[in-house]
Amino acid sequence: MRVAIAEDSVLLREGLARLIGDAGFEVVARCGDADELRDAMRAPLPDVAIVDIRLPPTHSDEGLRAALDIRAGHPTVGVLVLSQYVELGLAMRLLADSAEGVGYLLKDRISDVPDFIGALRRVAAGGSAIDPVIVSTLLSKRRDGDPLARLTPREREVLELMAAGNSNQGIADRLVITLRAVEKYVSSIFDKLGIPSSGSDSRRVLAVLLYLRS
Amino acid sequence: MLDDRHHPTSSIGIAAKPLVLRAIAVAGLAAVIASAALAAATGHAVLHATLMCWIVLSYVLSGVLAWWHRPDSRIGALMILAGFATFLATLSWAGGQVPHAIGQAFDLVPVALILHVFLAYPTGRLRGRLERVLLTVGYTAAIGAQLAVMLLGGLGPGQVLTMTDEAAWAGVLHDVELVVISGVAIGGVVVLATRRRAEGQPLRRSLSLLIDSFALGFIMIAFLLLAGVFEGRPFPVVQAVALAALGLAPIAFVAGLLTARLARTAVGDLLLALRAPPVDLREPLARALRDPSLTIAYWLPQFGSWADQDGRPVVLPPDDGRSAVTLIGTGVEPMAALVHDPALNDEPELLDAVRAAAWIALENGRLRAEQRAHLDELRGSRARVIEAGQKERQRLERDLHDGAQQRLVALSLDLGLLESRLDTDSAARPVLAQAKREIALSLDELRDLARGLHPAVLSAHGLDVALESLAARAAVPVRLMVDVGGRLAEQVEVAAYYVVCESLANVAKHAQATAAIVDVVRKDGCVVVEVVDDGIGGADTERGTGLRGLADRVEALDGRLRVWTPLRAGTRVRAEIPCG
Repeated sequence: MRVAIAEDSVLLREGLARLIGDAGFEVVARCGDADELRDAMRAPLPDVAIVDIRLPPTHSDEGLRAALDIRAGHPTVGVLVLSQYVELGLAMRLLADSAEGVGYLLKDRISDVPDFIGALRRVAAGGSAIDPVIVSTLLSKRRDGDPLARLTPREREVLELMAAGNSNQGIADRLVITLRAVEKYVSSIFDKLGIPSSGSDSRRVLAVLLYLRS
Repeated sequence: MLDDRHHPTSSIGIAAKPLVLRAIAVAGLAAVIASAALAAATGHAVLHATLMCWIVLSYVLSGVLAWWHRPDSRIGALMILAGFATFLATLSWAGGQVPHAIGQAFDLVPVALILHVFLAYPTGRLRGRLERVLLTVGYTAAIGAQLAVMLLGGLGPGQVLTMTDEAAWAGVLHDVELVVISGVAIGGVVVLATRRRAEGQPLRRSLSLLIDSFALGFIMIAFLLLAGVFEGRPFPVVQAVALAALGLAPIAFVAGLLTARLARTAVGDLLLALRAPPVDLREPLARALRDPSLTIAYWLPQFGSWADQDGRPVVLPPDDGRSAVTLIGTGVEPMAALVHDPALNDEPELLDAVRAAAWIALENGRLRAEQRAHLDELRGSRARVIEAGQKERQRLERDLHDGAQQRLVALSLDLGLLESRLDTDSAARPVLAQAKREIALSLDELRDLARGLHPAVLSAHGLDVALESLAARAAVPVRLMVDVGGRLAEQVEVAAYYVVCESLANVAKHAQATAAIVDVVRKDGCVVVEVVDDGIGGADTERGTGLRGLADRVEALDGRLRVWTPLRAGTRVRAEIPCG
């Protein structure tokens, strides 16, 4: 699998490259800013680009704009955005109308190597990886008469993992339960929240986020 | 009273006692009767005689009136002189050699004097060098050259002043004299026309036009003189019209002076209007001075600058003929300045009267302007303090982001790599896991700290994205509506952000609400931020809610923060922040 990295801190960029190389991926581009990243978007295209959201020169929205450009111009390239903060507003802009092939994670997540590699792989394959902080923030609100209040603790766990972009198998592995059990929880959650349960893993990410946000 | 620096009020006029003025008027009447009698006795052409008598009468009497009402202007004296000079010119009708010679000597003096009146109206003083040169040439020709012609034996045989008989030379000199005076007359009309164009007086325009049309009489005079030289024949109709025009002019002059007099009743109205001093002094003053272009500037000594009634700095216009400045003040320092139409300089008494009537109101206006300027300064310095703090926090956030946070992430990445290379049963694993947890905690704390310092997402991505995240983190469900049409000035975005941030924090801490609505729209040049909750209300707006700090932030940007928090009926915070 071919990976492009855009990160202005050399320390992090090289660390990431090492981590990804160790995992058996090929790092095809190491970019210090958004322009270098755009230059790297030529055949043979990488499978996935890891983009720091704050890139030179102004360290404001250069990274986000580069990520959105890649999503628009090269739909086959997965985009995994890393940031010191995760903001729901940015997640919604990044996802726009589809969660396919997109990830948005806190930078800290790279220290959990297997999880991070798993997320990278998912995004490269057209799936999604949304930082759990976003989902847990949305779930932490006080709500009265809210369908969410009717979820069991286990169902909430499954919902969080689902909204983060995990597949049913991924959820089963994480919670150490059977795939069958996960499927049961998922359909129960969709029933209780009134979300139509059709579609891919990434479609349900968007559906759940939109539901939680409203 | 500080006199107008730009156009000093005239005080060089000659004060005349009423008795003297009456005597002059009587002398003028006597002169007219004498001329009329002379014309009747010698069988002089009736129309010409009547017109000449009329000129004597109108100039003398108008001069007396003008002197009476405008003692500080020399115009009255000049008009009287013109009237009597005309009388002396009529003496040429006489049969006696001496009066005839006197009449001949004064034949052309009235032309120069009347031109002088036109050019010097209304102050009686000439304005420029060109005018002085013109009149000097005119007087020299009308008096000097005429006398020379007479001394050389010109103007008819047996002329009493004849010293030598050089009639031919006298004739040439007389022709030159007439041509020169024609030139002076035309030059005078050109000067008048140029002056009208340059000034473009909005006041009493019709009167100016009238005066201008009388000035056309000079063109006719010039024509008559030139026709006399080159054609040798008279044009009686042109002559009659020219004399009538010049003879009617004093009426227009006096009308102008009477208008100024009427204006004094406007000063009375002004006094009434100022009994309850209005905030905007401009309007009543403009009315009293009949100058819609009037503006008032106040001198703020502490700022060393002029300011308008709201304390905003203004610059007095240059004295370029388009506007004039009258300073008002005591001792050495001005208090206020009236910027007005230069035409008002013709009415110094009106300006003086208005200045006296509005003195106290202007002083109050100045104090108010000063107060506002101080407030503005205070607001400005508050805004600067807040902005400096904001910049400092932004810098700290950036330092944290690029420094400590980045290093900790790199460190945890190294630990992650190390962990993935360790054997699954290594004893070091739990230690590594513990270290990673510590780093994760530190990163969380740093993140909160940095966010508290400055919302980086706001400066990078704008209000809508930042507020979306804020709403997501709120303790209760928030219905968010943001419609500001793109990015705004940074300090406006920051202020609006903190209004929402603090209000939502209050909702979480105090309101016991179940939901909140955040509405941010751009309306009438303002960003209107409204945060409404359905909680218990009754918030203490002075303590513990951060509302005071918010109000500072908003007011520093010239905005307004209001809070409604009735008991058991929720809380509504509304900020209006000007955004251009």
